[in-house]
Amino acid sequence: MNVESLSERGARARRDEEVDVAIVGAGPSGSVAALHLARAGFSVVVLEQGEWPEYNDYTGARPEHELVSTKLWHPNPNVRDNPNDYPVDTSTTDINPLMFAGVGGSATLYGAQWMHFLPSDFRVRSLDGVAEDWPFSYEDLLPYQLEIEREVGVSGLAGDPAFPPRGPYPFPALPIGSVGLRGALGMERMGWHWWPGSNAIPSEKFGELNACVRRGTCLTGCPEGAKSTTDRSHWPLALKAGARLVTRARVKEVETNEQGLATGVVYVDANGRDRRQRAKVVILCANGVGTPRLLLMSGGAKHPDGLANSSGMVGKRLMMHPFASILASYTDPLDSWRGPFGQQVYSLEFYETDERRGFVRGSKWNCMPSGGPVGVSGAIGSKVYVAEEGRFQDFWGANLHENVARRFGHSLIWGIVGEDLPEEENQVVLSKDLVDSDGLPAPQIIYKVNENSNRLLQFNIDRCLESVRAAGAIETLVSTPVRESGWHLIGTTVMGDDPKRSVVDQWGACHDVPNLYIMDASTFPTSGATNPTATIMAVALRNTRRMIAERRNQKVA
Amino acid sequence: MSKDKTFLALADFLIPAHGEMPAFGSVCSFADAEKALDFRVDLKEGFHRGLDADLASSAEAHLERLNKEDGAAFSAVTTIAICTYYMNPRVRELLGYPGQESVLYDSKATQIYLTDGSLGHVLARGRKYRPTPGL
Ligand SMILES: Cc1cc2nc3c(=O)[nH]c(=O)nc-3n(C[C@H](O)[C@H](O)[C@H](O)COP(=O)(O)OP(=O)(O)OC[C@H]3O[C@@H](n4cnc5c(N)ncnc54)[C@H](O)[C@@H]3O)c2cc1C
Ligand code: SF4
Repeated sequence: MNVESLSERGARARRDEEVDVAIVGAGPSGSVAALHLARAGFSVVVLEQGEWPEYNDYTGARPEHELVSTKLWHPNPNVRDNPNDYPVDTSTTDINPLMFAGVGGSATLYGAQWMHFLPSDFRVRSLDGVAEDWPFSYEDLLPYQLEIEREVGVSGLAGDPAFPPRGPYPFPALPIGSVGLRGALGMERMGWHWWPGSNAIPSEKFGELNACVRRGTCLTGCPEGAKSTTDRSHWPLALKAGARLVTRARVKEVETNEQGLATGVVYVDANGRDRRQRAKVVILCANGVGTPRLLLMSGGAKHPDGLANSSGMVGKRLMMHPFASILASYTDPLDSWRGPFGQQVYSLEFYETDERRGFVRGSKWNCMPSGGPVGVSGAIGSKVYVAEEGRFQDFWGANLHENVARRFGHSLIWGIVGEDLPEEENQVVLSKDLVDSDGLPAPQIIYKVNENSNRLLQFNIDRCLESVRAAGAIETLVSTPVRESGWHLIGTTVMGDDPKRSVVDQWGACHDVPNLYIMDASTFPTSGATNPTATIMAVALRNTRRMIAERRNQKVA
Repeated sequence: MSKDKTFLALADFLIPAHGEMPAFGSVCSFADAEKALDFRVDLKEGFHRGLDADLASSAEAHLERLNKEDGAAFSAVTTIAICTYYMNPRVRELLGYPGQESVLYDSKATQIYLTDGSLGHVLARGRKYRPTPGL
């Protein structure tokens, strides 16, 4: 069976059939749960509002790539304007949330930068006196992280002194190219930490994944089928194990009975008809925006503030990792359109708290190529480092040619991901007037970049400028905080022991509804500063394993 | 003024000849722009609105007005101009841009940072993480 024929498989459950588990969302978290539950003999149905990816639609290998990708593969659903996505009310946020609906989820467009959270991320209260510690530790999660790495096909180099010792990655690190070497040179000259990038992109053929050929269009879908997304890494195996997947199925409500237990979900199918999927257990994997949205839409008259929300914490504490970027140009050629457009090099030099800097917690930097001529020109607003103000003439005429000559093939981008601290005012609520293509309320984001983040970003930008200049940069462009940068959606149904202060327990079970689980990054008490997908999938695996082990004790309707 | 003439006048203002690089109109035609527009039907309306002018004023004044008063039209005209230009094979050749080509490499080859000592320096600088067992 090849991946292209999968969409014909995975039939819908029989009418009125009660399955063991219904999962909402076929992104990284939902795919992990589906695969492992199906393998353990559970009957599983996954409901996904998007469709299977169509690899021919990824234009990376074609000349029109830069033109097409700024619309069709834009990470902001409001720009993409595809009826399979829901729109997001962004009138009250400093940062736009970014995501994608489909089998593979938002990872369809991710950079595949693969990072574990660090030990201190699980102990921020104990170490730094802020936010909360996690109910489990780095060491508790590590075995799941390593197992997920093998499923995903991660490439990287072990031995980074910024992490505790660990075994080798499944695949050797991808070549870091001239861009990565130049980024590393700046760090070396400053005496700072850097390490070759780890990416969810196998450097050799692996299962349904082809070897990466450095085409460099990872952020707009990999036309080679080399970037690891769960439509290729997990779904072929999950379907084989008996999981069923219904696409274009938008879940509008989680249903509960008199005893307050979940009985299944109601979804709108591809023809706009309401359907019910009964299930003994329901798992939400719809991401840090989609999951609270669904809980807020559920509960009916009995729970006017939303289901599983007796703590009042559903939707609160949204974290999106405020982000800054620095484009640096050099006189010598760096072939900076070549991939991978994950991370060629990363740095954790400023990851840990140093209070002398005037803020707590820290950042992760990743060094990436800068892409094609249209993007680096800055003339159309497709790239994150383009300043919003300024005269149009600055980008056109002779300036256009000079900007492109200086940057194209000669520049790199350092992305600075800052840890975001949880604040209850930063939240997801239901929009009063915006609706999706099924008439369901869109989520509205209320989010302000806080003072700690502003200071953190400014400190890191200043250091990054020192580093790129030390490596000979002749031009630098800074963008901060980048508005189109909400790629990490975290914290909106927080886990904890106290049902008054948290939505789920450490295994993802809702305190209020014990057979309703959440397995995406909504449950994270804090955000770390590394890209979260590795941790999301590892936590989903840990929760799933526990569910399998405790199957006989699971309370069901 | 016909739409194609208007577009070429605007595109030549946006992308004039400079150094080795040719002006828009000397390598691309209006038909090329229309082909590009077929990839972005969402821009069609704005594009045609942006060309609905007799350019009595200069191309620059027209673009200035569009930029202030009709952002969608400005964005459509400029996006199509720049993307058409950089899709052009001659322009790509002059830039040395083969497109997002695939590149073969040996995944097992020893990387230079392992032999030139640079990664060794990172290791020599020692542990960076804060251990947490017991916390
Ligand atoms: C441009 C971009 C770049 C990124 N780069 C990186 C990176 O380099 N490294 C990294 O670690 N992370 C990166 N991320 C983040 C990464 O994509 C997410 O962390 C990851 O996809 C989260 O997985 P998930 O399964 O929790 O949620 P998602 O992947 O968002 O999947 C949720 C799924 O649920 C579906 N859904 C939502 N609501 C409903 C509903 N009501 N009914 C039915 N289905 C529903 C959605 O359609 C979606 O498919 C990036 C994200 C973006 C957008
Ligand atoms: S760099 Fe590799 S993973 Fe990225 S798009 Fe190209 S082939 Fe795919």
